[in-house]
Amino acid sequence: MTLDIIEIARERAYPPRVSAFTLPFWQSLSDGRWLTTYCEQCARFTFPPKAVCPHCWSKKMQWKDLTSTGTLYSWTLVHAPPAVFTADAPYHLGIIDLDSGLRIATRLLDPESGAYTPGMRMKIVALRYRDGPLFAARAI
Amino acid sequence: MATRVAIIGTSAVPVGLIQSEVNAPLQVLEQEIMTRLVVDSIVDAGVDRGDVQSLIFTLPRPYTQQKYFHTFLVSHLRLACTGTVMEVMGNGMTAALAFDQACNEIVLGRAKVALALGINMESAIPAKEHAMSSMRTTGDVDFHSTSGFTPISWYAMDATRYLYEYGATREQLAAVAVKNRYHASLNPIAQYRKPLTIEQVLAARPIVEPLGLFDVPGRSDGAACIVLASEDVARSLGKPYAIVRGRGFCHDGSHQINEIPNDMIELVSARRASAEAYDQAGITAADIDFAEIYAPCTIVEILVSEALGLFDRGKGAPAALAGETRLGGKIPLSTSGGLTSRGHPAYVTSLYSYVEMADQLFGRAAERQVPGARLGVTTGELGNYNASLIHVLEAVQ
Repeated sequence: MTLDIIEIARERAYPPRVSAFTLPFWQSLSDGRWLTTYCEQCARFTFPPKAVCPHCWSKKMQWKDLTSTGTLYSWTLVHAPPAVFTADAPYHLGIIDLDSGLRIATRLLDPESGAYTPGMRMKIVALRYRDGPLFAARAI
Repeated sequence: MATRVAIIGTSAVPVGLIQSEVNAPLQVLEQEIMTRLVVDSIVDAGVDRGDVQSLIFTLPRPYTQQKYFHTFLVSHLRLACTGTVMEVMGNGMTAALAFDQACNEIVLGRAKVALALGINMESAIPAKEHAMSSMRTTGDVDFHSTSGFTPISWYAMDATRYLYEYGATREQLAAVAVKNRYHASLNPIAQYRKPLTIEQVLAARPIVEPLGLFDVPGRSDGAACIVLASEDVARSLGKPYAIVRGRGFCHDGSHQINEIPNDMIELVSARRASAEAYDQAGITAADIDFAEIYAPCTIVEILVSEALGLFDRGKGAPAALAGETRLGGKIPLSTSGGLTSRGHPAYVTSLYSYVEMADQLFGRAAERQVPGARLGVTTGELGNYNASLIHVLEAVQ
């Protein structure tokens, strides 16, 4: 799915490691595309992307577009961050049940008004930092 | 019939701020604390040092300079062994695994007497720095830590969900902190002993909303030693002991979050592991007199009290506010003060749970004594209760 891209004029506080296997995920995310691995054998998505299907253990995994909308299951606002996230605090984190049936956890952008509440409709966005991408979610 | 295992003695230092600042001219050394504790525990148990054939240590924190601490300590005590000497690690479950492994040593016949012991030193490391390590233990380093998840942020999301689903209140969560502080006020080895009020808990600064300062654990160091023995050894000593009646383990197959949406606050691992432990013991939840719960945050004690079958779903929070989990209530929980007030030296935290079990089941818990305490249950866990290790203990006096 195509994601809204938000440019952020600094480097990531704690960048992910990229492997030869996960490179397509991070490269696509930079372009605003939301992908994950899909099992050719049992036809299930998994997230984060994995080299082996956790359900049927097949190694035949391919990259496919992932649903970018879902429902907020829970959230928190972190006031006590690890050292590298000091400048971000307080920041929101949440758990989102994507419409395609996968549960993910990620950073939530600060709400434009009011507060988050479980059940809210959410969508994933791409965050384009100077040194590479991350993803987050915000209310629709 | 399989050999039955008993707790026959314990020792522990008061939980608190023990670790030296990095550049302090005089340093507190782990082996000095630990050797004294082993001697104290053997005296408490009333066995001979030569009876000890296995020592199962909790892994020290990376801040402990002495590596291979287990074999180092054995040398300080000149304890030659034919059972197993090892260190175990399982995040928050570390000490529960050490205890469980020590039980195995006796069941397998490798030892008649085994020690489960360890030391956790971390309090001199600033919280923000320590969180740089702990954030890598919960979730996926590349896909979760990058967003800033910390261990307690997951428990906070349990709280948000519980409040949403059951209409529970922050006052009800706060009642757990107040109750645990009261219990800790009666426990000489607890870290935080000054009584708290619900108003103070609610007014404290937020840490991971909706949880505030008193809903989450402080920073703690600690060390403890548990002496376990076969029942024939325990019986020969002519004094109270606590029999391990049931052991249950369950890992739910997920790491922090289940990618297939589930009921996250059901804590299915605790539900299954406790059912197994009760089954082995031939009991039901209704038979339990008290429980010592691994609950880093107030919400966790509530969720676990439901997963153990002590309360119906959604009833744990109102029960806490009604005083049902307080000493003198229907089912006293965390009579030691729990992780929020006795303290949470994470890798040895569950050792303190077995210390409390022994004090209660030996009938020596003084002001904290649960009258007629016969059956107690302990929980250990890792992640967001993705795995649970449950022990049911019974008094033999």
